[in-house]
Amino acid sequence: MSQIDIATIKEKLGYSNDIIFKEFQIDYGGNSRKVNLFYADGLVNTDSVQDFILETLMVEFPKLNTNQHPFLDLLTAGEIEEVTSTDTMYYNLFSGHVILIWDSNKILSIAMNGIKDRAVSEAMTETVSRGPKESFTESIRTNTALVRRKIKNPDLWLENMRIGKMTQTSVSIMYIKGIVSDKILEEVRNRLSRIDIDGILESGYIEELIQDSAYSPFPTMYNSERPDVIAAELLEGKVAILVDGTPHVLVVPALFISFMHSAEDYYQRADISSLIRILRFVGIFIALLGPSLYIAITTFHQEMLPTQLLIGLAAQREGIPFPAFIEALIMEITFEILREAGVRMPRTMGQAISIVGTLVIGQAAVDAGIVSAAMVIVVSITAISSFVVPAMNMSISIRMIRFALMGLAASFGLYGIILGIFALVLHLCSLRTFGVPYMSPFGPFIAEDTKDTLFRLPHWAMRKRLRLISQNNITRGNNKPPGPKR
Amino acid sequence: MLEKGKISHRQLTVLTLLYTIGTSILIVPSIMAVFSKQDGWIACLIGTAANLLTILIYSALAGRYPTLTLAEFSEKILGKWLGKVISLFFLSFIFLLSSFLLRVVGNFMTTHIMPNTPIEITIILFMAVVVYAVRLGIETTARAAEIFLPFVIALFLFLTFFLLPQIRIDRAEPVFENGIKPILLGAFYYFNLQEQVILMMLVPYTNRPEKARSALLAGTLLGSVVIIVSVLLSTLVLGTEFTQRNMYASYTLAKQISVGNFLQRVEAMLAIIWLITIFFKTVVCMYAVTLGTAQTLRLKDPRTLTLPFALLLVFLSLLVYDNIVSFVAFTPKVFSLYATIFMVIIPVGLLGIDALRSSFKQNQSSS
Repeated sequence: MSQIDIATIKEKLGYSNDIIFKEFQIDYGGNSRKVNLFYADGLVNTDSVQDFILETLMVEFPKLNTNQHPFLDLLTAGEIEEVTSTDTMYYNLFSGHVILIWDSNKILSIAMNGIKDRAVSEAMTETVSRGPKESFTESIRTNTALVRRKIKNPDLWLENMRIGKMTQTSVSIMYIKGIVSDKILEEVRNRLSRIDIDGILESGYIEELIQDSAYSPFPTMYNSERPDVIAAELLEGKVAILVDGTPHVLVVPALFISFMHSAEDYYQRADISSLIRILRFVGIFIALLGPSLYIAITTFHQEMLPTQLLIGLAAQREGIPFPAFIEALIMEITFEILREAGVRMPRTMGQAISIVGTLVIGQAAVDAGIVSAAMVIVVSITAISSFVVPAMNMSISIRMIRFALMGLAASFGLYGIILGIFALVLHLCSLRTFGVPYMSPFGPFIAEDTKDTLFRLPHWAMRKRLRLISQNNITRGNNKPPGPKR
Repeated sequence: MLEKGKISHRQLTVLTLLYTIGTSILIVPSIMAVFSKQDGWIACLIGTAANLLTILIYSALAGRYPTLTLAEFSEKILGKWLGKVISLFFLSFIFLLSSFLLRVVGNFMTTHIMPNTPIEITIILFMAVVVYAVRLGIETTARAAEIFLPFVIALFLFLTFFLLPQIRIDRAEPVFENGIKPILLGAFYYFNLQEQVILMMLVPYTNRPEKARSALLAGTLLGSVVIIVSVLLSTLVLGTEFTQRNMYASYTLAKQISVGNFLQRVEAMLAIIWLITIFFKTVVCMYAVTLGTAQTLRLKDPRTLTLPFALLLVFLSLLVYDNIVSFVAFTPKVFSLYATIFMVIIPVGLLGIDALRSSFKQNQSSS
């Protein structure tokens, strides 16, 4: 390699003062050699630099008969590589390596990562009452380790790539060789390699850049911050995409039904989980259709209500100046604003929002004659129901579609709702996620794969993996119903 | 091939089932009561048998050209120009049928569900969703059918179960009161309301065409069971007289459900079943007509036809008959004879000519 000019490097780095440069001379092979050493302060562990590099070079080297050993062997650090391109050098520099330029002609990169990571903490978004509490962190290395700890098998493979021209974010594909479908894996690799963007700051960037249907409101990639969920998905033959800098790990392919499942479903007893899942589907039904059914029935199909209820509703609505649709819209939008405020606002102000919230969606609104009490109930139950969807992104899709259905209900009553549902189901059936039909195992119907969908069979009865996802090795285990040995 | 999607034979069964229930669940009980009185269910049984028999003919015909639709193999059998004429004639039947289906939806909705909404709007809305389905292709439609099927079955079982207490067997008596003739007449009308011949347009797109016959048979049989049950229930719960006077007898039937004063007014469920089934029937017809036209006219993409055909269908559906009275007169008397041409004469003719031709060819090659 040609001469490396340290001044050029300094200029390239814009003399940024977080890059620490050090220059000294040492004796090696009878000659005095120049050593340039630099690193990004904060990204490396300065104690280690002191102990293992500076100490070795400046204190131990002069004592040794250094001629007998190649220089690289003498450095007491684990991960040392010689780099030839300056691009790699800069990448390593900002990945927490110490760069050592030997005699102005050789670049050595020594891993000394010492960035302050957030500790592994409890999962914030996907909470369970039974099950592991840990969640991923922002460091991709910690995250891969958390998964590795769960699947101790050489077949758990990891492929790394760098995406983002400016950010050079490391993105890893994780899968279990032998279970994963090669077609899906190839598709993931292809789509990732096609990405052309300046920066990747969160896995959401990747999701939007590689998902199947750009114009669908439904998520076709699953994400989780729980290592146990990711391990379970890997065991089903799916592919995980880990992105440095975010605790949210992507999983493909993601079926519609998997957004309705929570990690806890697999840790509780099968019968309880099945009942809870059914409850969840009822919740989703209400979240999707609650207000629109109310609007349609009170506006067009009053005959469907029992007479006494109808009289009660009519009496309530007597003083209300708005049609049911506008009333529902006001309440729904108020609720959405409250929810958004609750998420964005500083934690300490939580109290204020809940007090104001109970005023605007509550008795005060009814007393003011703006909305009817029945509407408050409908909107509240809808709001609560939309939170039983375990996956946040699916819950958002359902909320969006709810507004469309409300519009249809206001214009065309039940007929509009039914046609809306037709279009919705058709749309869902047309979606694919990395080649797998989104609505499987219901559309196309695969009887064998329905054992972990609307309900969950006990673990001993789930003997096969999903057929459309893992084409290679579909046997999970061969258990008999448990009990004493007969 | 113009359509790249493939459906499994299970999906074909589901589509056939929904297609068979189609409009029939709503309008057949009344028509049967008019022509066959309390023996309507026997007429339906005979009609179903006839239906299954014709499916054997259709599948024998389709079996000779497993990769081609009717619009394609008619050209193979009759030669290019005569074949095209027959195809277009056949497609015009499907086109007309689609407009009838649309009009039935419009009529029912404006009469029973949305009396203040203009019929044009209901038809246009329905057509919009049908066009969406046709454009998404047969694969997506079949998947959606699989998802809706459990709801159809569950709702139907629910209605049937809660009607059981109101059954009075003596309403179906006396059996064979007027002899066999009215029953056969009813059977003939019932047979012609099913139009299973259109399903032949789907057979080449199943992944195993040799299993298509059993799929069509199973689907038709199951669908017919649903219709026969609804005819029986109409007779047994409402009685012949009342059923005759109700255009949409099974809708009236569902209104009879009343359990403990709280489970009432569940007729919307029947409307939902019916909307689902007629939706899939319309989609299959619309799909068949666009695909067939594209094949006959050698167009590259049948989807370019969906919007123009949709517009034509909306207007045609408003023109096909003046009012409900002419519909009641027209459907059994004229439409059934018209449908017979396409359901029996053309397929049998094609099969006969093809058999003659192939035996002729064999003779030539052997001599």
